[in-house]
Amino acid sequence: MLKLRIGTSAPKAAVTVIPVAAGAEIPAPARAAAAADGFDGAAGQSCDVFTADGRLLLVGLGADPSEAAYRAAGALAVARLPQVVRLALDARALLPDTAVAFAAGAVRRAWRFNSLRTIADPDAPRLAALHLLSDSPGIEAAWNRPSAALRGAAFARDLVTEPSNTLTPDGFIARLDRLAHAGVEVTVLKRRDLEREGLGALLAVGRGSVHRPRLVLLRWPGAMETRPVAFVGKGITFDTGGLCIKPADRMWEMRADMAGAAAAAGAMLSLALRGSPAPAIAVLALAENAIGADSYRPGDVLRSYSGKTIEVVDTDAEGRLVLADALAWTIRRHRPAAVIDLATLTGSIVVALGSHMAGLFGNDDGLAAHLAAAGEATGERLWRMPIGDTHRSDLDSDIADLRHCVPGRGQPDACQAAAFLREFVGDTPWAHLDIAGVDSHETADDAQAQGATGFGVHLLDRLVTLRFEDPHRA
Amino acid sequence: MLDISFARSALPKSGALVLLVGEDGTADLLPAVDEATAGAVSRAIAAAEFKGKPGTTCTILAPGAGLSRVVAVGIGDPAQLIQRTAEDAGGHACAALTREPAATIAAAALSAELAATVALGATLRAYRFDRYRTTQKPEDKPRLAKLTVLAASAAKAKEAWAPLQALADGVALTRDLVSEPANVLTPAEMADRCKALESLGLKVEVLGPKEMTRLGFGALMGVAQGSACEPRLVIMHWHGASGATKGKKATRPQPIAFIGKGVTFDTGGISIKPAGGMEDMKWDMAGAGTVVGLMATLAGRGAKVDAIGLVGLVENMPSGTAQRPGDVVKSYSGQTIEVLNTDAEGRLVLADVLSYCQQKYDPKFMIDLATLTGAIIVSLGHEYGGYFSNDDQLAAQLFAAAEETGEKLWRMPLADAYDKQLKSDIADMKNITGRPGSAITAAQFIQRFVAGKTWAHLDIAGMAWSSKDSPTVPKGATAYGVRLLDRLVAAHYES
Repeated sequence: MLKLRIGTSAPKAAVTVIPVAAGAEIPAPARAAAAADGFDGAAGQSCDVFTADGRLLLVGLGADPSEAAYRAAGALAVARLPQVVRLALDARALLPDTAVAFAAGAVRRAWRFNSLRTIADPDAPRLAALHLLSDSPGIEAAWNRPSAALRGAAFARDLVTEPSNTLTPDGFIARLDRLAHAGVEVTVLKRRDLEREGLGALLAVGRGSVHRPRLVLLRWPGAMETRPVAFVGKGITFDTGGLCIKPADRMWEMRADMAGAAAAAGAMLSLALRGSPAPAIAVLALAENAIGADSYRPGDVLRSYSGKTIEVVDTDAEGRLVLADALAWTIRRHRPAAVIDLATLTGSIVVALGSHMAGLFGNDDGLAAHLAAAGEATGERLWRMPIGDTHRSDLDSDIADLRHCVPGRGQPDACQAAAFLREFVGDTPWAHLDIAGVDSHETADDAQAQGATGFGVHLLDRLVTLRFEDPHRA
Repeated sequence: MLDISFARSALPKSGALVLLVGEDGTADLLPAVDEATAGAVSRAIAAAEFKGKPGTTCTILAPGAGLSRVVAVGIGDPAQLIQRTAEDAGGHACAALTREPAATIAAAALSAELAATVALGATLRAYRFDRYRTTQKPEDKPRLAKLTVLAASAAKAKEAWAPLQALADGVALTRDLVSEPANVLTPAEMADRCKALESLGLKVEVLGPKEMTRLGFGALMGVAQGSACEPRLVIMHWHGASGATKGKKATRPQPIAFIGKGVTFDTGGISIKPAGGMEDMKWDMAGAGTVVGLMATLAGRGAKVDAIGLVGLVENMPSGTAQRPGDVVKSYSGQTIEVLNTDAEGRLVLADVLSYCQQKYDPKFMIDLATLTGAIIVSLGHEYGGYFSNDDQLAAQLFAAAEETGEKLWRMPLADAYDKQLKSDIADMKNITGRPGSAITAAQFIQRFVAGKTWAHLDIAGMAWSSKDSPTVPKGATAYGVRLLDRLVAAHYES
């Protein structure tokens, strides 16, 4: 992640970025240029001005300069000047919270993944130094929190981007050293442990791959004597679909099928980096859904950790199987105050909500309301979806306790998957985020970089602030 | 239609008897029927382990006392009995009575309203569409023709029944329209059937292709131009608040407006659909069918509201005159639309009808219904209709009405990010986006034609037709939406 340097004046050779609200006065050196360009501070507008004192970029905030508008303006600056090496965000007129929102937008947009390139791309963005100009004494402290979430998100984005030949389940685990250094306890359950504990659904999904499945427990102790909040992430490091193999077209995208686990890990990193008082755990269900001589089959019946038996209909609906075991294990072993799972789970949610919102399911209206609020506040938007009676009854099996999905095209599979997961959470307050449509961004635009979004890290970090850091909560 | 009558509670001398049995084991007439049959009914109920749970029934054949059968229907806790449970009980009773020509339901332990509601449930379940059966043997036909409901006050129950009968008639009308095949139910035929509703006191206007062309309905006419069957726009007026003939326009209250998509058959046009399942597209006029049934209900029960129903009726056909993918049409609102897929035709029809409704009638709100997208089925399945609204209060009212009637709804989002996806290279907008979020982008498209008016859009593609029986809806056309919207009007919009 690009490091933000905080200072009071612009360094030499930096382009200074000045946010302008709609209709607000434009700084004198840029006034004539802005008028010539039709720049009036509308959201999404920018104006590149060369003055005697250096180059300026005006960015529009729109009529209602909320924190979201400042975030968008910061992102816009980075998007519009990809060839500039050094940017200075001029926040000298702003309060600390607004100033850091401006900076956070820029940092988030500036993320990119370069570690696998060996040949320099002359067209690649060149931004190398980002400065925040502020004379407010509280600015360093105000930056602490967004900085932690941004680092957590960047960690998640790197994981999501990394290809599956290096990011195997064990490759994923190797990268969790970063969390250990930040004070997060990392425990790994290997195959023998999983067999002893009886995580039959997770083991079945991982059976076809030479890269064995793992269950990872991340624990952040916090400072409060309360039950932890738990994040559970789907971490399929590559999803071929198994015997129900996917079409070749765009199968490469399935390297991102561990984005839920990455977001859960990234959120833990954020909590640790900012020293959240709330105790939290994350459980990552890591497996590769491969094709092998010992692959699990459609028609197999699995005995899950919960004891419930599951008839497999489609080996490509593997995410809900690993989550079923991870959820039940998390709840039985760790008694969390609430559990939130994240998963790139269904194509159905993409048909339902497209790429602008993730699906939110759950059994607890208060938790869901806090999640939705956290989503609005961070720009990681959620939409509540239902679990209806028929979504559950559709899962009745002829020979087992339940089946994990429903054959036939056009099924409301996102709702049915949520109904399936609900069978493994009991009375624990629970929410399920189906992030299949939002884990990656197809092409770069003013708001977002191309590629992994890290969706969920900012959201969960904010959820913890809103709901789990109050020492007086029951 | 089932012949419903009400009478005072007394053990019938013959025929079938339905007992509404609570979880506490009590039921109107149970002691009397036990006495007449020497305890046979109670013994059978105990032997069958029937506990009075809602949704369960127990049939006892020829228990004595001249009765051909006794059907026990569970109603749960009698003190907690709600309308939906009573309605479902009537439906279950009806399903257990198909062999009986006449039956009696003992409902004197219920309020008059709930007794009438039981009758509604039975009537809704008794619906059949057998107009085209010519060879069915008499013994294979359901026989139930006459149902007597025993009530504490037959007069009060009869009074409560009158508006429910209008509702049952409205539902049956919608189911008839939706069930009719497309070679019979052309736009012109459907308009004629709307016109016939003038007998209920509705004022019905019908516009043909000449008028619509003159008015500038470019989007609707573009869809219609491939078919040999002419399109129609039907406007049904109900002046239940201001009086049918009296009152100048200026003194009338703002009406509420319902708009229906009425594609009497949807081949997809030049962007033709796959053959498998295409026969379902006869019910692509279910939104319009629902609006027609709703207007008939409002008129039939004399609802104290001014309401208008508009249905855009077209057939979407491929032919030498059909519109092509890539055509640009000018809608009634003046906005231009690039038609990238001729199978996204419903929104084109709705666009013109909504604009026209908004400009000509300035309604309090507009609610449109349409079997619009496959995406809404992938989103929600067949348990919820999807709805979209630009007004939280109307949305909350719709949700509450849906919960009460059991015609369930789930709200889906509208947001600028989805709207942006409609950008066209050469016109004001295009009529499709990719598959992701496509029920939402369809709603965003429609929203561009409501001009800021309070509005809700119900995507009922998953709800119009049912492949299996439910207590008050036999499989086939459901008339989903009629009860829901009738409840909305009754709860909030009648003076």
